[in-house]
Amino acid sequence: MEKDKVNQLYNFFLTRSLLKKYRENGRIVIGTLCNNVPEEIIHSMGAVPVRLLGLSKSTELASAKIPTWLCLYSKRIMEDALKGEFGFLDGIVGMTSDDTKSHFFSAYSFYLKPRFSYLIQIPYVRDETSLDFFEKELRRFIGRFTSFFATEFSEEKLKESIEVYNTFRELLNDLSELRYADSPRLSGEEWLKLLLASTSMLKEEMNDHLRELLSKTNDFEGYKDYKLRVHLSGTDFYDVEIVKMIEEMGGIVVSDDLCTSAGYYKGFVEGKTLKDLAKRYLSQSACVLTSGVGNLSIEDRLEFIRERIRESGADAIILLKDRGCEICGHQCPFILQEFSDFPTLVLDLDSPYPTEQLRTRVEAFIESYG
Amino acid sequence: MELQEWNPLGYKTLYRNLFKKHLARQDELLKKGRPVGWFFSFYPSEIIYIFDVVPAFPEQYSAYCAARGSSVDLIDASVSKGYGHFLCDYFKTTIGSIEEPEKATKPLMPTPDFIVDTRALCVAHHEMTEVFARKFGIPKYTINYPYWTSDALGYVDELTKMPERVEELYMEYSIAKLKGLFEFMEKVTKTPLDEEKFERVFETSEETSKLLIEITKLMMSKPTPGSQREIADLVFLAFFVLGSDYAFEFAERGYEIIKERVKRKEGVVPEEKFRLLTFGIMPWHSLSLYEYCEMLGATFPINLYVNASLHLCDSKKPFESMVRRSMHFTNSTYDLMDSIIENARKADLDGALLLENTGCRITSIIIRPLAKILQDEVGISSLILEAPQCDPRVMPLERAKTQVEAFIESLR
Repeated sequence: MEKDKVNQLYNFFLTRSLLKKYRENGRIVIGTLCNNVPEEIIHSMGAVPVRLLGLSKSTELASAKIPTWLCLYSKRIMEDALKGEFGFLDGIVGMTSDDTKSHFFSAYSFYLKPRFSYLIQIPYVRDETSLDFFEKELRRFIGRFTSFFATEFSEEKLKESIEVYNTFRELLNDLSELRYADSPRLSGEEWLKLLLASTSMLKEEMNDHLRELLSKTNDFEGYKDYKLRVHLSGTDFYDVEIVKMIEEMGGIVVSDDLCTSAGYYKGFVEGKTLKDLAKRYLSQSACVLTSGVGNLSIEDRLEFIRERIRESGADAIILLKDRGCEICGHQCPFILQEFSDFPTLVLDLDSPYPTEQLRTRVEAFIESYG
Repeated sequence: MELQEWNPLGYKTLYRNLFKKHLARQDELLKKGRPVGWFFSFYPSEIIYIFDVVPAFPEQYSAYCAARGSSVDLIDASVSKGYGHFLCDYFKTTIGSIEEPEKATKPLMPTPDFIVDTRALCVAHHEMTEVFARKFGIPKYTINYPYWTSDALGYVDELTKMPERVEELYMEYSIAKLKGLFEFMEKVTKTPLDEEKFERVFETSEETSKLLIEITKLMMSKPTPGSQREIADLVFLAFFVLGSDYAFEFAERGYEIIKERVKRKEGVVPEEKFRLLTFGIMPWHSLSLYEYCEMLGATFPINLYVNASLHLCDSKKPFESMVRRSMHFTNSTYDLMDSIIENARKADLDGALLLENTGCRITSIIIRPLAKILQDEVGISSLILEAPQCDPRVMPLERAKTQVEAFIESLR
């Protein structure tokens, strides 16, 4: 893979330079607080949706405002926000996906007072009543948004945005195929960098970059000197350093079920209407808390993981368990149980990372199963 | 510091009678082979009386384990099985009792035949019911009420949960899900809905809810007439058994007692020095902390957690009432606290004791904003104690007492 190109794109995530530029050019920039916020809607109204992810390594300012034991994801966003790093935002959109995300939305609004804020109510069951409700809820959001920013919404524009996002998903699917090969032509580190870059620019621009990268994939034979093909399991994880460390120890990350990766892009919008969009976000994503009628969301999640492992040919799982993540906290034992005949390593993550300890554990794991 | 004579309302006997009747009903229904359901706070409690269900309440059971001293072992059992450290204590205690029942306080909860998951307080209920449903292989019904925002409700009265307005979309969806719950109950209990019984239970619920609201209003009198040691347990009535005859009997008698006390201008201690607001799930392992504060002269005319548990049931509008139950400030954005501020001003407070329940996101994330609001709007400062509701290791009672003493000193 074109390492320079990947790093150049990743730099947009680290600097947020494009987002600031969009804002300078008069675009509305909206921060989203969950991978299940339907970005297509925001995009279709001429605004730039950006998945908020904090870059702060320590979170002392956030600790004065929210409990210290919350997940890294929420603490880092709060820290960056309190440091004034999100000055380019015109508003935030959250979702009731879990307790942290609901109350974090409230706390963020309370302390940072964004100009615009909206919390999308997501049902947890995928029945017809809930789908109908969710579509109406998205319409309610559109109404609030257009009225606040004096913008317009049209089904035609939404259709165009859906196409842009579906293209993005398609390109990522093509790119992910490169990870599944015996000699993956894309490392886990590169993959995550691309995903993070995609949160920091308009998707149509990202699509151009992805096309360019795909056109050059044949120039590289792939990674051959790895010992273990790894599936990463977790939620809002985005620490490239950890993935890099796993790969330095001889692993190669070939798939994942992270909210920042597979959970973000997997699943197309089948159709071009708001209802179709509602259906995708309620039923086709890897949302860890919604489930089909008479089913449990954990079953759906396990199936999502199985599917990723099937397609990638992963030999082992590394489970990234953020100590403050309520979803990891509840679901981890079931994942362990389900994959009990599969080599699995659980890494408890909390800041600051005990890097050497993690390194030793990963090394031992890869040595044992690689 | 000098301790005063403590003079509680005497609700202890009333609670004893209440539990006796509740358990007798449970035994009787179990003998009849009625199905067992597991329910959580803010669920529509009337359904257990309408459908003659044997209820079990993991939160209440966990509080019981905490009071009896077994919760620590159960929490450890849960963590050792791979569940997260920073999860709800109620979940960890309950799953611990399932995984290692020999360590749990007896009697254990009856094994459930079904489970009802209402996101009227937290998503954690949804997450934990998933775990329990999978463990037992039982059916589960999910209602997710909205997480309320000010643009959907406007002003909400803190005690009655009567909102200025309700976003129609949210009300309609919630009612549709509640109607689904009744169909689910008919199915799992194999009992058709008895309309007459439905009306009767909701009428009882209405009368009881009115009395509970009056009790909490009277608690704001000067001097504070009762102890939080007693008032804190009102959540059991409001959360779990509202709609029962025994809850009504309790409320009726409880109201008379406190009314008389207020009439006589008699307080929980002879000399009330400070009036404090409190919030957070009570640390069930160390409830005597309240008693201790009161003996120091610091009384609690307002307990926001108890207030959150209340709502005014309108038997003419039962479905709307069930939805309104979810309109408390812990299930809302932080701009919905006007009524809380008004009551805090009315109660003439000197400070606040706020409990950050480790692992409980809904009560903990709100704590610091609440302290700021109380400071900015009411002019009172707060002591925030990290206090998981079932794990005394994080909040040893003696340390908490010292912190409270220092705080009280600072109020002088």
